[in-house]
Amino acid sequence: MMEEEEWSEEQQRFSYLQRLKAAVHYTVGCLCEEVASDKDMQFSKQTIAAISEVTFGQCENFAKDLEMFARHAKRSTINTEDVKLLARRSHSLLKYITEKNEDIAQLNLEKKAKKKKKLEDENRNSVESAEAGVEESEN
Amino acid sequence: MAYNFSPDSEPTTRTLLRQVLDTAVPRTPRRARSTRSGAQRDLLETPSSRRQRSQTKMTARRRSHTATSVDRLARVQASGHLEEQTPRTLLKNIILTAPESSIVMPEAVVKLVPSPQVVQPSRRKSSRGSLELQLPELEPPTTLAPGLLAPGRRKQRLRLSEFQQGMDWGHLSQEPRENADASSLTSSLNLTFAMPLQPQSVKRPGLARRPPTRRVVDVGTFLQDLRDTSLTVAPPDTVLEDTQPFSQPLAGHSPSVHHSLPCPSPSGAKEVEGAASRRTRSSGPGLQNSCPGKPAQLLARKMEEVEAIAMGLPNTSSVSGEDGIEPLQNGVGEEAEESMEESMSVREVEKAAEEQGSARAEEPEGHTEVAAAAGSLGAIEAKEPEGSSEDEDTSGRLASPELPPSTPEFLRTRRLQFPEPAPPPSTAVLPSELPKHLSARIPPRPRIPGSRPRQDPNKAGLNHYAKLFSFYAKMPMEKKAEEMVEKCLDKYFQHLCNDLEVFAAHAGRKTVRPEDLELLLRRQGLVTDQVSLHVLVERHLPLEYRQLLIPCAFSGNSVFPSQ
Repeated sequence: MMEEEEWSEEQQRFSYLQRLKAAVHYTVGCLCEEVASDKDMQFSKQTIAAISEVTFGQCENFAKDLEMFARHAKRSTINTEDVKLLARRSHSLLKYITEKNEDIAQLNLEKKAKKKKKLEDENRNSVESAEAGVEESEN
Repeated sequence: MAYNFSPDSEPTTRTLLRQVLDTAVPRTPRRARSTRSGAQRDLLETPSSRRQRSQTKMTARRRSHTATSVDRLARVQASGHLEEQTPRTLLKNIILTAPESSIVMPEAVVKLVPSPQVVQPSRRKSSRGSLELQLPELEPPTTLAPGLLAPGRRKQRLRLSEFQQGMDWGHLSQEPRENADASSLTSSLNLTFAMPLQPQSVKRPGLARRPPTRRVVDVGTFLQDLRDTSLTVAPPDTVLEDTQPFSQPLAGHSPSVHHSLPCPSPSGAKEVEGAASRRTRSSGPGLQNSCPGKPAQLLARKMEEVEAIAMGLPNTSSVSGEDGIEPLQNGVGEEAEESMEESMSVREVEKAAEEQGSARAEEPEGHTEVAAAAGSLGAIEAKEPEGSSEDEDTSGRLASPELPPSTPEFLRTRRLQFPEPAPPPSTAVLPSELPKHLSARIPPRPRIPGSRPRQDPNKAGLNHYAKLFSFYAKMPMEKKAEEMVEKCLDKYFQHLCNDLEVFAAHAGRKTVRPEDLELLLRRQGLVTDQVSLHVLVERHLPLEYRQLLIPCAFSGNSVFPSQ
């Protein structure tokens, strides 16, 4: 019984993997089509299959590395720092990621600022209204 | 017992034992017969004893001896003793018949034994009333004496032949003694149980010690070499007292020696050139001739070291025995190392000479595989046996970082780590053996001053890694390939250290810790979920590091290294 359960679990995992691989394959195919239309060059099926396999393997590696890095920094959540560490080998990629990271950071800051402002305004409003109310009442 | 015999003139152990045997009552299964009174026994045993007599050898002989009836009785009694095959009787027979020779004493005495045996019975014969005892004594010696004599003679013959062999060997010191002994043996049958021969003359193949085969130093050639070197070489003192870097004439010579094996001293260099020129002319066997010049010169100066290194140096002085060159040179190398403290300068030159010799020797490959690897530097290949033999150089020795691609040499560089300007690889490499002070004084001749800074200081340490690579490649490697290997190693190590730095920073630290290394190894795929870091440490690192890295509990609840 246990073996059957394990086997079925494995089967499930396997089918899950297959679905993921299929998804990756599809995405890679779409991207290749875009590049092909751009460069006016055809991609053979084998190429797409190879690229998708490599991508899948690299995704696995990335995930493991990210987990390692996070654990190394004694965190339980993967951070942008981990991602940056992962991408350090490729300069352009690293640059891109850092830029993106900065943008995101800025956005976050802005959002936070807005939120703070809103809160403050609300507070002020409430205070003012409260005061107004008080004044009115006093009057 | 009935018969009482007068003791012999010389109461030897033999006779005493015999008396004991005769007087004591033999306790045998056939006691009934033996303990009976003599008369009874005689009556009863006569026929039986006669029968038994026929069985033993002695009976026949005894019959021949017997003459008187008086003796008969005693004889019967005596024979009666012997006829019974008891341990006692057997022992008696053994005592009577066995030669008086010991294991320790050489066979030389064996020959003499029968003679005394023969003599004694004759003596005993004369004594009264001891005939019965004599009879058994007589016969064994007479019967066995020829047998004994024969092997003795045979052994003696063997010895003579061995003497002749010894003569042929030329180990003359022993010969006269041996001859004298042999002559003394053959000539005298004196019953002097003198001391056995001198141990040297004992030619027992198993026990004899073969004298060490020392190669005779050919004095003639030795002196010849001395004379040759004294003519060509500058006065010996210059080597010792010359504190200048290479003197002028040397610079002119150096370029001429393309495959030169540079010697540190000017005189040595001259020798090298002369030797090199000679070498180019002469074939391999002639190499040895060039060698001795240098060491011979040194010998002239310091005879004491000659003795110390006499073992190895005969290889240089004697033209023959080239097959022994290699081990001898190694021996020289080792010996030179041992007595290194005596005089550095002399040692250097000698070493250089050895290097020359080894370089010129044609069987260096037997030592290291790198010889095969260093295909390009043919002349330097020969250095390897040299290098391997001198691998145990003490710190006093200098090894230039620039070395032929051979393992022992890069080991030497690592150990010594003296950033001495190294000659370009194309030129000779031997100065690696130069001691520090000498090389400090004398920049290696073929080197262009300032060539060292040309090399990338960052890559300096990777030299020996590249050589290790070429060693394990088991194939000859081009210089370009080695350079590429160096570059790759450089990049690799740079990446490695960058990663370590980043990992440390990632964890908010400024110091690299083992955790960072574990992460690195994990990324490399060496550390997996199945294989942990400790497993790798145990597998690959020496034991001393293991206890530094893997926490272990010690006594008193203390853990080292402390977590």
